[in-house]
Amino acid sequence: MTDSHAATSDVRRVRPRDPDSVHQLLQDALDASKADEAQAAWSWESGTATRFGDNAITQNMGGEQETVTVEVAFGSRKGSASTNRMDAAALAEIVARAEAVARAAPEDAEHVPLPGPQAYGVRPQRWFDATADLSPQAIAEDVAHVVAGARDAGLIASGLFDVRARAAARLNSRGLRAWDAATRVDYSTTLRGANGSGKAAATQSDRRRIDPVALSHEAVTNAGLAQNPEPVEPGEWTVIFEPLAVRGLLGMMAWTMSARDAEEGSSAWTDTLGRKMFAEGVDLRLRVDDDVLPAPTFGADGIAVEPTTWVQNGVVQHLYHDRFWASEKDVRPDAARGPLFMAGDEDQELSDLIAGCERGLLVKNLWYIRFVDPRTLTLTGMTRDGVFLVENGRITRPVQNLRWNESPMVFLANLEARSRAVRVGGWSDMKLPAVRSRGFTFSSVTESI
Amino acid sequence: MMDLSAPALDLARAAGASFADWRLVEQRVRTLGVDRGAVKAVDDDEPVGYAVRVLIDGAWGFASGTRLDRDGVAATARAAIDTARASAKVPKTPPARMADVSPAVETLVGPCAEDPFAMTAGEQAAELLDASRRMMDVDGVSRATAWVTFTRLRRLIANTDGSRLDLTNTFAEPWITCTAVVDGDAQSIRNQGGGRQAGYEWLRQVDPVGSAAGWASAAVERARADEVEPGTYDLVLDPMHLSLTMHESVGHPTELDRILGWEANFAGTSFIRPEDVGALRYGSEHVSFSVDNRLEGGLGSWFFDDDGVRMTAFPVIEEGRLVGLSATRETAPLIGLTASNGCCRAASFDRFPINRIPNLYMEPGPEHVTPDDLIGGVERGIYIAGQGSFSIDQQRRNFQFGGNQFWLIEHGAITRPLKKVTYQAMTTDFWGACDGVAGPAHWASHGTPNCGKGEPSQRMRMTHGASHARFRGITIGDGSQ
Repeated sequence: MTDSHAATSDVRRVRPRDPDSVHQLLQDALDASKADEAQAAWSWESGTATRFGDNAITQNMGGEQETVTVEVAFGSRKGSASTNRMDAAALAEIVARAEAVARAAPEDAEHVPLPGPQAYGVRPQRWFDATADLSPQAIAEDVAHVVAGARDAGLIASGLFDVRARAAARLNSRGLRAWDAATRVDYSTTLRGANGSGKAAATQSDRRRIDPVALSHEAVTNAGLAQNPEPVEPGEWTVIFEPLAVRGLLGMMAWTMSARDAEEGSSAWTDTLGRKMFAEGVDLRLRVDDDVLPAPTFGADGIAVEPTTWVQNGVVQHLYHDRFWASEKDVRPDAARGPLFMAGDEDQELSDLIAGCERGLLVKNLWYIRFVDPRTLTLTGMTRDGVFLVENGRITRPVQNLRWNESPMVFLANLEARSRAVRVGGWSDMKLPAVRSRGFTFSSVTESI
Repeated sequence: MMDLSAPALDLARAAGASFADWRLVEQRVRTLGVDRGAVKAVDDDEPVGYAVRVLIDGAWGFASGTRLDRDGVAATARAAIDTARASAKVPKTPPARMADVSPAVETLVGPCAEDPFAMTAGEQAAELLDASRRMMDVDGVSRATAWVTFTRLRRLIANTDGSRLDLTNTFAEPWITCTAVVDGDAQSIRNQGGGRQAGYEWLRQVDPVGSAAGWASAAVERARADEVEPGTYDLVLDPMHLSLTMHESVGHPTELDRILGWEANFAGTSFIRPEDVGALRYGSEHVSFSVDNRLEGGLGSWFFDDDGVRMTAFPVIEEGRLVGLSATRETAPLIGLTASNGCCRAASFDRFPINRIPNLYMEPGPEHVTPDDLIGGVERGIYIAGQGSFSIDQQRRNFQFGGNQFWLIEHGAITRPLKKVTYQAMTTDFWGACDGVAGPAHWASHGTPNCGKGEPSQRMRMTHGASHARFRGITIGDGSQ
């Protein structure tokens, strides 16, 4: 496994176990099972999460862990058990426990046999040694840049600089054999002034793609512009959402793209297949060929992650099918909903979207988004980290945060313009443009900053 | 197992730590899930791991590991020490220190009358399957899910104060939903009451099979109901609903770490300032809130928090005035408090313990006041039962809530069901609009199993409670504006 703990100070070498030894470990577990079907999954994670607040590091966390999960089926009776102890006795014990659970389980009316061997295509690089090896000291140096920038500007910095190395493997009794390893760096900081705050964030697979000094400058600029906001009247506004804000809407939308829910009539996607629901140029896809946001090798039950077009030029093309629903409909199951890519306009920058806006609100980020109505996909939430009034193509002043009630279906239908797309972090990273859209509904204001 | 703490604490002392602890978390987690009458999960997991936390020269280091031997613990402790030295590059001013605590050596086990792990998972899953199928049998129901998690949480804590704690708690946390599609509209309801620190006896009380028909008919009734007409209404809120309102608008803003700005990058800060304690008018004279982390069955009743502080009870709001905050051993001294009130918990072995909402509840009103009295005093209003949509700004002022079920109140009586009800308010305006609270006989609790906070994210559990309460002149929307 890793020797990250054996080293000290600035020198680390963080690696997962090698794939062959992991697959052998999983094969041993499968060999111990007497079930009709069995699959074994292994996951490993090592990381450092450095939190700061009030211009100081407040928490600094390192650690690693491994987990093995065994899932077995006798006919359609299934059970699973997991452990993060890797010794032979622990693995034998979870096989026995999963089998005991399965034998006593009720039959699963929607049981689908395990998938067979998959063809995992060649994918862009997701693992970067130098990123995996980043030490807490190196990350603290990056934090120091941001805190120094904030202090110089009379601001208070908080944030999370998180570096993760992950690997996963899967083996099943039908011959599926999967492996994936990835690094991820997620740097975000919020700077607060006396009456306003600003944020900057960057998420990459390779630390070398992030410039902490530039990140610091961006946060200082955003926080400076956001000071002393004044209220505007809620109501319908043309909005320019930066990619972080677009992510807030599309992240919630992606959860609802279930073909089964749509067919049952309980979602906003009901009766949308083949229909033009969104503005010209709206493309939503799962891509596996992007260097900046490289897709994982496999998803649910080890199925290969394949390119998928959800929406093309505003027309809904496909909705998410889990393995059971795919078998019912005789279509290929979807391994995952993302990473989600929304096509940008490579000739447009955020500044172009602002220049083309007569009167509107520039929204940096959204916060606390929740579902309000499933059939319309109406969501509610707040703006955060800076809202600005745009008049005659330029930013004129910061405004107070607002509550909104709106549907991403409406937001994408009313889309007017897009910038080029960038990688945005979150529970599932996406690549998204800034978007200008008309008729976005704000409900009330708050003096919270 | 407690012996494994020795290498960690020895290395921390040798490195000059002013405080260090070793915390082992051993869990048994059984997850059962059914969806649309089919089994989705019968999982039995046993995660175990530990963390070493060290405070050196006022800077924190933390590392977690799963290697359960002395060498593994020592390697993890060395990683924590390295991390503390890295933290010192961007030091705290003043340096972090922990409020003093008297050391304790105790072994304690929480309530669990009927051990869920002594039963087969299959037997428990079959009950959920039956409930799901009964809901699916009702005309109009498109989906019925039933998920239950049983968790046995054992924490071993050893620290440089000399405390040695062996603490075990069991949690039963059901999450059951039913969706109905009627005339092109879809509406969902879910079971109320949340989780409980208990064994299988809590599932017997929730009674998924016996309750299934009621949940299904409630979902269909909600889908068939009239949409609310937006405007200004009086509200009468039931205890389950209030448990969420208080969580968001009282529990979070009174966390001291948020007030100090430590959560500004994600969970947010608070509109409260330290100097507001004792002065801020939070609500009307009918509004009092208390913490009791010894509450029987409370999801936050852990005997000791993860700072090694014995859990306790204290007031937060008295007759509308803010009087207390939740704090940790590190945050308390920063506002001049001499001791922590035991509100520091971690979601798992690999997470740093942080300031968490405790068991927080609204004090009941006068003994003679009933929910019917509150409804009887409303000319035009809405009665909201249970929890639904919820959202609040990052400083906890502007909020919007939905609910599980809604009824119109006209001339002092409930007349018909409604749907798509949301209400918006500012925190202190809302609690200031409270003009009546039902008596102790109507007090009920809700166990919240999924409070999110921290980076990386930490999911935490706690219990809230209330009697019914009435609020005057609240802005009601239908989600379209």
